[in-house]
Amino acid sequence: MTYSYIGASVERDDSPFLDGSACYVADVDREGQLYARVVRSPVAHARIVSVDVAEALAQPGVITVITAADVPDVRIPIRLPMAETPDTHKFLQPPLAREVVRYVGEPIAVVVAGDPYLAEDAAELVDLEFDELDVVNDVVSAACAGTTLVHPETGTNLVATVPLAFGEVEEAFARADIVLRDRLRVHRHTAVPMETRGLLAEVDQGTGVLTLWGAAKVKHFTRQALSGMLGIGRDRIRLVENHVGGGFGVRGEPYPEDYLIAFLALRLGRPVKWIEDRVEHFVATNHAREQEHDFEVAATADGRLLAFRDRAWCDQGAYVRSQGILPALLPALHMPGPYRWQAFSVETHGVLTHRTPVGTYRGPGMTEATFVRERMLDRLAHELRLDPADLRRRNLIESGQLPWSFKPTPITYESGDFPAGFERLLDQAGYADLREQRDARRARGECVGIGFAAYTEIGGIGPFEEARIVPRPDGGFVAHVGVGSLGQGVETVLAQIAAEKLGVPMEAVTIDHHDTSELADGFGAFASRATTLAGNALALAAEDLRGRAAAKLGVPSADVRLSGGQATAPSGASVPLADLGEGWGRFDKPHPSFSFGAALSLIAIDPGTGQVRVLRHLVLHDVGRAINPKLLRRQLAGAAAQGIGAAVLEELLYDEYGQPLSTLLADYRMPTVEELPDIEVIIEERPTPANPLGVKGGGESGMVGTPAAIANAVADALGAAAGARLWRLPLTPDRVRELLRPA
Amino acid sequence: MTYADHRADHHSGPQTRDSWLEPDDRAQFDLVVNDQPVHVRAPARCTLADALRQQGLIGTRLGCEQGSCGACTVLLDGQPIRSCLTLAVQAEGCTLETVEQAPPSRELHALRRAFHQHGALQCGFCTSGFLMLAVGLLRDEPDATPERVREVLSANLCRCTGGVPILRAVLAAQQELTGGDR
Amino acid sequence: MKPPPFAYCRPASVAEALSLAAEAGEDAKFIAGGQSLMPLLALRMSRPSHLIDINRLPGLADLRQGSDGLHVGALVRHAALERCDRLSGPWRALREAAALIGHYPIRLRGTFGGSTAHADPSAELPVVATAMNATFIARSSQGDREIPASDFFAGPLMTVLEPAELLIGARFPAPAPRTRSVFEEFSPRAGDFAFASTAVTLTTHDDGRVRSARIALGGVGAVPVRAGEAENVLQGEHLTDGAVREAARRAAAGCDPSHDAHAGAAYRRELIATLVERALARLREEP
Repeated sequence: MTYSYIGASVERDDSPFLDGSACYVADVDREGQLYARVVRSPVAHARIVSVDVAEALAQPGVITVITAADVPDVRIPIRLPMAETPDTHKFLQPPLAREVVRYVGEPIAVVVAGDPYLAEDAAELVDLEFDELDVVNDVVSAACAGTTLVHPETGTNLVATVPLAFGEVEEAFARADIVLRDRLRVHRHTAVPMETRGLLAEVDQGTGVLTLWGAAKVKHFTRQALSGMLGIGRDRIRLVENHVGGGFGVRGEPYPEDYLIAFLALRLGRPVKWIEDRVEHFVATNHAREQEHDFEVAATADGRLLAFRDRAWCDQGAYVRSQGILPALLPALHMPGPYRWQAFSVETHGVLTHRTPVGTYRGPGMTEATFVRERMLDRLAHELRLDPADLRRRNLIESGQLPWSFKPTPITYESGDFPAGFERLLDQAGYADLREQRDARRARGECVGIGFAAYTEIGGIGPFEEARIVPRPDGGFVAHVGVGSLGQGVETVLAQIAAEKLGVPMEAVTIDHHDTSELADGFGAFASRATTLAGNALALAAEDLRGRAAAKLGVPSADVRLSGGQATAPSGASVPLADLGEGWGRFDKPHPSFSFGAALSLIAIDPGTGQVRVLRHLVLHDVGRAINPKLLRRQLAGAAAQGIGAAVLEELLYDEYGQPLSTLLADYRMPTVEELPDIEVIIEERPTPANPLGVKGGGESGMVGTPAAIANAVADALGAAAGARLWRLPLTPDRVRELLRPA
Repeated sequence: MTYADHRADHHSGPQTRDSWLEPDDRAQFDLVVNDQPVHVRAPARCTLADALRQQGLIGTRLGCEQGSCGACTVLLDGQPIRSCLTLAVQAEGCTLETVEQAPPSRELHALRRAFHQHGALQCGFCTSGFLMLAVGLLRDEPDATPERVREVLSANLCRCTGGVPILRAVLAAQQELTGGDR
Repeated sequence: MKPPPFAYCRPASVAEALSLAAEAGEDAKFIAGGQSLMPLLALRMSRPSHLIDINRLPGLADLRQGSDGLHVGALVRHAALERCDRLSGPWRALREAAALIGHYPIRLRGTFGGSTAHADPSAELPVVATAMNATFIARSSQGDREIPASDFFAGPLMTVLEPAELLIGARFPAPAPRTRSVFEEFSPRAGDFAFASTAVTLTTHDDGRVRSARIALGGVGAVPVRAGEAENVLQGEHLTDGAVREAARRAAAGCDPSHDAHAGAAYRRELIATLVERALARLREEP
C-alpha cells in the first residue's frame, strides 16, 4: 500500500491553539520557581560609574541581584562560520554590561524575586550612575574617520567589509549609454512576534542536568553556546522547545538572557523564569535591516543591463551578536538578483552604532538588496522610456542559461525559469488590464500606481541535518529532527514526508522537534531550510529503516510493508519493527541554493494625508516542489503581510541621543486586517536537482519583493519627478506627503 | 429622553469595597469563569489577565500587557475586553468567558471550526484573543456587515497571517450561525 | 510590565467616593473603565497611591437630552455613544468621534469621563467638547463646579480638576436650529491615536449661508484649539469650494502643531487643512 502525501494540502492539527491548551514558555511552571527582571540601560552610551543594588536587595521577596561583577567575563558566540571573521570576536556582547553601556536596553543587572510584580518593583530601585558619552546613531557617519567609537579599543566602527566582484566593471561602465547613481536607504525594523521571548531554567539536583524551556529556532547551537559560556558539558544541558508564538528570525538565537537565566538557576539551585515584556522586546530582541547604499547602474540605450557598483553601510548595532556579519554579508549576496549582469562590484560594510544589535529578520539582506536594485531598475526604465516589465524581460537570466554562476563570487543559480515565473506573475495580475485600470483611475484624479520586483533568495543553508525514526511499540513512529517549529506548520510538512517515505499513514508518525536530548545535533529553523534539510534527512532515515527491513526479509526495499508493528514481505514473512532498530538519515548541503521570486503591487495614495493603501498584492515564488501547497501559501501570504507593514508603516525610530522612540505596539505600527489586502499567492514548482525531494525554501519569500514592489508602485503613482525622489523606506504618510510637496 | 444603551453597561454585581485594600494586602473574591465559580486571592494591582492565568487558564495570552495587541481578550459579562486593562478586583462578582470554555458556546464552537478551515492561525499566540473578540461581536451584533467585522477585528494583532484569513473565518462562522442568511 | 502597588477601594456612592478621595490625598486617582489609566500603570508612568474605583457607581451613565441640551454622564461608555442613533444632526460629531476611539473592546469599557479627564492631546472627545462648547461638571465635597471646555484642558494629560474632584459628566448646550456637526481625523492605522483631528459644528441660515461655525482642532497642541480665523471666514458665506478651501487654509495656517518623530509639524498642518476641508465638504454634501 502506498501513501501519497507529498504535494497534498494536509490540514495541520491546530486544536491546542483553538481550545487554549497550547503551552508557550510563559505557561510552563516549575515548583519553587523564581522570577527574574533585567535592569537595562536607560542611556545609549555611558561609562558605568556605579551600580548600587543595596536597596533593591532589601525589598520584600527579593532573593538576589547580580551585576557584571558576579558573572564570568564571557561573550555570546557567533553561530555560523560564514558569518565570522578574524576580527568579529572583538565586538561580541557580554551578558551584562561591563564598565560601559552601548545601547538603550543593554542588560546591566538582574533582580530575582519570588513574584514578577515584586521583581519589577525591586528592579526599579537598582541605582545606576553614569558618565554619559557621545552617541553614534547613524550608519554613514559611524563609518567616517574621527567619529566616536562604539568599541574604542578596536580602533574602528567597521566590523567587516564584504567585497564581491564579477567581470570587468570599469570596462562595462565605459561602454554604457546611461549610468544612474543614487543613495537608497532601508530603515530599521524587525520581526515583533506576538509572543515575546521567555525562558525557564531548572537544574535537576539529582542528575545535575540543566533544562532550559523556551528554546526556539537553533536550540542545538544555543546549547553549545551555553556549554561554552557556563563551562559545563553539552550532555548536561537540555533545551526544550515549547509552542513558539512566532519567530521570523529573531526568536531563539542565543541572547544575553539565555545565559543569565541559566546562570541564575545554576547559582541559586532553584528554577528561574523570565518573560520578556513588550517594551523590553523592542530594545532587547534583535533589530534588522537598516542600511544605506550608494548604487550605480550602467546600461545600454536599448535597456541591456551591463554592470552595477554598490557600496553599503549596514547597521550592526552596538555589538555583533550570534549572527555575526550576516547584516552585511546577505545584502551583498543578493544584490545581483536574477539578471544577466556582465560585471558588478559590491562592497558592504558592517557598521557599529549605539543602538540595539542587529540580526536577521525574514528575508534578511535579500529584502534590502531587492529594494535597492529594483528601485534603481525602475528609475532606469523611466529614463529609457521603457515599460519596467520590458526592462526586466530583456535582462532576466534565461532558463537555458542555468546553471548560472557569477564566479568567482559564491552566487550560483542552479535551477528554475526566471522569465517564465515573471510572465506568470504579470499574467495572473492581468498586467495589461491593470495598466488600463490605473490610467482610467488617474484620469478620474486618483493617485494610483503599479510596481513590481524580481529577486533571488538564498535558502537551504547547510551544513546538514540528521533525523532518527524510531518505531514505537504501538506500531507508530517517532521522527526526531533538529529543526524547530515557530508556528509555520513544519511538523505537518515533515510528517507528510516521513509517512510517504515510510509507506505508512500520517497518523502513525509523530514529529519530535522539541528536545535537544533526543538528537545529537541539529542546526535549526532559519534561512528557509527546515523542509529542505530535515525533509531530505527524514526521507533518508525512512529509506534506512525500510532497507533494514528489506535486508532481514531478503526482498527489495520497495516490496516491504510497514504496518501494525511489523515489516512484512509480499510472501507474508515478517519481522517485528522493534528488531530493526532506528532509521537514521543525514542530509548534507555544502552549498546554499538560490530560488526565484517576484512581487507585484497596485497601490493608491490619499493625496490629502499621504496614506498608501495596498489595493492588490501578488507574490510568486519558485519553491521547487510544494510539499503542502496550502500551508505554503499561508507562509507566503503572511510574509507578504509583514512586507507591507515594513513598506508603509513600521519603523524603529531613535532620537539623536540614541533613545528609542518605538517601544510600544502603539508606536511600532504593524498592519491590522484594515491595512491589508487579500494577498494573492502564486506557487511555481520547478524542482531543483540539488536535493532528492527537489524542494527550495519558501517561508520567507513573500517578504523579499514586497517592499520593493510597493515602493515602485508608490513612485509610479507619484509620477516622474516626485517618484524619482523616492529613495527610502518606509513610505509612511508623512514621508509620502513630503514627496507630494513640490520639490 | 434617555439614550443610554444598556448593552454597553455590563457591570453586574453590587459588591462594593468601602474600606481600603492596602497595597500589600490580597483581596479575596469570587468570579464565575466559564460557568465555574472561581475564588481569587490577589493584590489590588493584579491584572485580570494575570489572575486568570494563575488559575491555570493559560489560554489567555499576554502579548503586550498594555492594551495594544488584544491577545488577552476575554468576555466580561458577555462583552470582549482586554484582560490586561482590567484589574482582577474590578471584575469581582462578574461572569467571565475564556477560550477554554467547555462545552464552548455556539459562537465559540463555530469560530473554532472556521479558524481551522480558513487557516486563520499559524503560531496560535493571538488566536485566543481573536476568538473571544469574535465571540463577543457575533453575539452582540449577529448581523454585523463585513466592513464592521473587519473594523472590529482590527482591534487585535496577528503577525503570522496578517488577519485577512481571520476575517474570512469570522465571516464564515457568522454565516453558519445566522443560518446562511448573509 | 506590571502595575505598581496602590491601595484600592470601590465605594457605593459618589459621596463616599469623594470622601475616600479626600482622605487619600493628592496622589489618589479615580478609575472607571481603566482604558487610559491601565496602560500608564503598566508602564509605571502613573503611580497613584490609591485607586478609587467608580466604574460601577450608579447614576453616572446617563445620556439624556433635555431643553438645556445633552447631558453625558461620566460613565457613559464610548460604545453607547457610538451606537446611539439619536446622536445625529447637531450631535453627530459626538457619535462619529466615539466610534473612532481606540478599538471595539476599548470602546465597550472606556468612559466619557475617563477619556476627557485623561486629556490626551490626541483624544477625540476633548475636541468635540471644545467644538460643541460643552460644560464639564466636577463634584467635590464643596458641591458642583461647572467648567467650560475652553478652561477644562490644562495641558497634555492635564485638566483643571482638583485631586478630590470627580468629573461626573458634561452638558452640551442646546444647539440653534439648523445646526449640524461632523468629526474627522487621520490616524496612520486603524484605531491609533490620531495625528490630527477636527470637530466642526455649523449653524446655517435658511438660505444655507453660515450663521456660525465652531471648528476645534486636535493633535496640534497641548490641548484642543479653536480655528478662529477659519470660523470667521465662513461667517455669512455659502459653503462653496472656495470658502471651504479658504477656511481649511486658515485653519492650517493658524495652528502651531507640535513636532514628533511620527509626524512633523508641517505634515500635521497639512493634515489639518485636509481634515477641515473634508469636514466642511461633508457638512455641505450630507444632509
